[in-house]
Amino acid sequence: MAFDKMELKDIEVWDGNFAAAQAMRQSQVDVVAAYPITPSTPIVEGYAKFLADGYIEGEFVMVESEHAAMSACIGAAAAGGRVATATSSQGLALMSETLYQASGMRLPIVLNLVNRALASPLNVNGDHSDMYMIRDSGWIQFDAFCSQEAYDLNFIAFKVSEDHDIRLPAIVNQDGFMTSHTAQGVKTLSDDAAYGFVGEYKPMNDMLDFEHPVTHGVQTEEDWHFEHKARQHNDLMTKVMPKIQSVFKDFEKLTGRKYNPVEKYNMDDADVCVVCLGTSVETAREVASDMRAKGIKAGVIGLRVIRPFPFFEIAEALKNVKAIAALDRSSPNGAAGMLFNEIAGALFNTDTKALLSGYIYGLGGRDLTKAHLVALFNELQANADAGKVTTKLQQFIGVRGPKLAFL
Amino acid sequence: MAKKGWDEFEIGAMLRTFDGKIDNIAATQQEDRAYSQSSSYTASVADWRLIKPVFNKDYCIDCQFCWIYCPDVSIISRDKKLIGVDMDHCKGCGICVEVCPTNPKSLLMFSEQADEESVIANWPKKDEEEA
Amino acid sequence: MSEMKNIKNLKEFSTSADRFEGANLLCPGCAHSIIVREVLNATNDDLVLSASTGCLEVCTAVYPYTSWDASWIHIGFENGSTAVAGAETMYKALKKKGRLKQPERTPKFVSFAGDGASYDIGFQWISGCMERGHNIMHVVLDNEVYANTGGQRSSSTPIGSSATTSPEGKKSYGEKINKKDMMTIMAAHGIPYAAQVSPNKWKDMVKKIQHGFAVEGPVFINAVSPCTTEWKFDPKDTMHIADLATDSLVFPLYEIINGQELNITYRPKNVVPVEEYLAAQGRFKHLFKDEYKYLIKEWQERVDSNWAYLQRREEARV
Repeated sequence: MAFDKMELKDIEVWDGNFAAAQAMRQSQVDVVAAYPITPSTPIVEGYAKFLADGYIEGEFVMVESEHAAMSACIGAAAAGGRVATATSSQGLALMSETLYQASGMRLPIVLNLVNRALASPLNVNGDHSDMYMIRDSGWIQFDAFCSQEAYDLNFIAFKVSEDHDIRLPAIVNQDGFMTSHTAQGVKTLSDDAAYGFVGEYKPMNDMLDFEHPVTHGVQTEEDWHFEHKARQHNDLMTKVMPKIQSVFKDFEKLTGRKYNPVEKYNMDDADVCVVCLGTSVETAREVASDMRAKGIKAGVIGLRVIRPFPFFEIAEALKNVKAIAALDRSSPNGAAGMLFNEIAGALFNTDTKALLSGYIYGLGGRDLTKAHLVALFNELQANADAGKVTTKLQQFIGVRGPKLAFL
Repeated sequence: MAKKGWDEFEIGAMLRTFDGKIDNIAATQQEDRAYSQSSSYTASVADWRLIKPVFNKDYCIDCQFCWIYCPDVSIISRDKKLIGVDMDHCKGCGICVEVCPTNPKSLLMFSEQADEESVIANWPKKDEEEA
Repeated sequence: MSEMKNIKNLKEFSTSADRFEGANLLCPGCAHSIIVREVLNATNDDLVLSASTGCLEVCTAVYPYTSWDASWIHIGFENGSTAVAGAETMYKALKKKGRLKQPERTPKFVSFAGDGASYDIGFQWISGCMERGHNIMHVVLDNEVYANTGGQRSSSTPIGSSATTSPEGKKSYGEKINKKDMMTIMAAHGIPYAAQVSPNKWKDMVKKIQHGFAVEGPVFINAVSPCTTEWKFDPKDTMHIADLATDSLVFPLYEIINGQELNITYRPKNVVPVEEYLAAQGRFKHLFKDEYKYLIKEWQERVDSNWAYLQRREEARV
């Protein structure tokens, strides 16, 4: 092949964006169609630069909008090759129509979603509003808590998404700025090892096979639509998680880095626990350790896989916990919060006596401080001691003005 | 095509036009292609039709105007000769008759029930005014 | 480059093996499929096709049937051009990498879309595709109305036409805004080839489509597609209406090469008055009321002025 390999140190200092770009290079993505948006832009700039320097043999198309970016990705994926892009926030909102089309057509595409708040008011910083907005779009969703994971999960995403039993697009989430622009040590794979893991793209139902013409993107009305949507949901519910588990195992064999759909920290004997996403998981882990020193048996659950939702894994992980906090970094605008709802759904009908409360935090990149989490764990312990939720079910933390609490 | 359950079809609602492989399609006429049940070639819209074209080869000059202007791929021409109308796919629009330049026309519209042999036997004569 | 299909006359053309099938759900007498057949039959090369949401798309890929014998994709209303541009990009990538399954083939990438999907909702996507130089052809099936949703005005709907969202009524003659000049806009992208075509002039069409397939880079084709349902004429009269459109010069046939060289490709021997074109269609019926007759005169003046403009450009080689 006519491209140069890149010599990497065992540990490179990369931010999340560059880590994702490197993973895209090492996966030898055939086509990237993209449109710039803060904070995800450096990912596709990285791919473009690798291409310009001859480290990739592929095509980069800088289109005129995010909607066109995903549209071109869909056309490219249907043609039959490895496809990836990146976006954030408003860009994801603009491409949201096409996300449903990509998954409905069962096209493997990897989207690096660098999480950012949604306007209005306009904001470029990290929260999970964009991730939440498209959670029912039929994409597999992974969540990285740091640069290393953004790197690793890209390889895993290609491998899961492109599997012929799966054929569903996948999103790798990472927190805007907090991960995307924070340089950290990243343990690397060699180009050969990385590509060997992801493997050569195996086409399926590819438009460029002229001996087997295919029609993609048909219309189905009331006599067929339900069956196709049911098929997609079935595969997400029954096939994807086992595949993810097996790819996690393969990745562990290769790198020693072990991933789980539900990442547990100090959960074996935890009385109280926080469930959250993104960089907050790492902060919460630190605070949980501090709380242990103060006699509170605190644990943390970070969701590695958001879709399909690890329903049973999370119920299992939480079954002996006395008080749980679901931390949602997105304004539910009139409801309880995604994690609150999903966890409640997973625990309902089980024998758990766990108390569940929800917290809305960190909107528009507002810091979640260790002090916030200390207070939160103390509140959970108070709930556990009282045997009931002593606060409102939903509280806002870190917002100025009179205390906001509902439900 | 029979209505299938959710687990019985290709993912992504993808359809294949042909069973197996098709080679050199642009040089393969319809009758030599292995259409799958998913191709509308295997379906019929004959029941859309209220009137039908009848082809009288006695007057046809094989100009192929009807072939090029048929919206429904229903004028069957092979080796530069018009050999008939595909009555499974003809919707009865009547364009073929309108564009037919012969006098009398080589294609005329009749009611769907009309008997082909008898309408050909009673085909209109040359229209002197139009000529 | 692939060999161009030799089509000297209609008899020869009629030996083509169609790659578009009947028993689609288009209205009897619909010009869309006539145009599609003329475009597809202009080449023997393999085809990768897309359609934007619209009559053609909803009538040719309704599960469990497809009317397409070549690979075909539909995503949405606005992005058919970008879908096929994505496929073309993958073709380039796989060609470079030596991973094409049939590397000897020279596929053509064609996107079909209505005027709504091209002049309005897909305008930006098409502009992007034209500007970026994808090796694709975008064909507008221009029936001057949102026919699939039941006859709403688009920016291609001409003045005086009665559309469901600009209906004629006691106080209105219908659409008030002039049709958008998409040809000029697309040619202004500097693309190698833009052409206006009409299905009745099949030879002109085939010549232009073949030219479009032969050039490297994006090609824009605007094809007038008389709509029996929304223009309100008898299905048998589709080609007659197309004749009136080209011969009244309401739809002049011309091409623009590299955005800089305009050639008129059809000069009717007997130019038909615009009034005849309008009178043949129910959508203009109300214009023949006394109070609106001035609009017919204005129509003629507009067509004359546009024809004069095209001729000036042709003469000046611009």
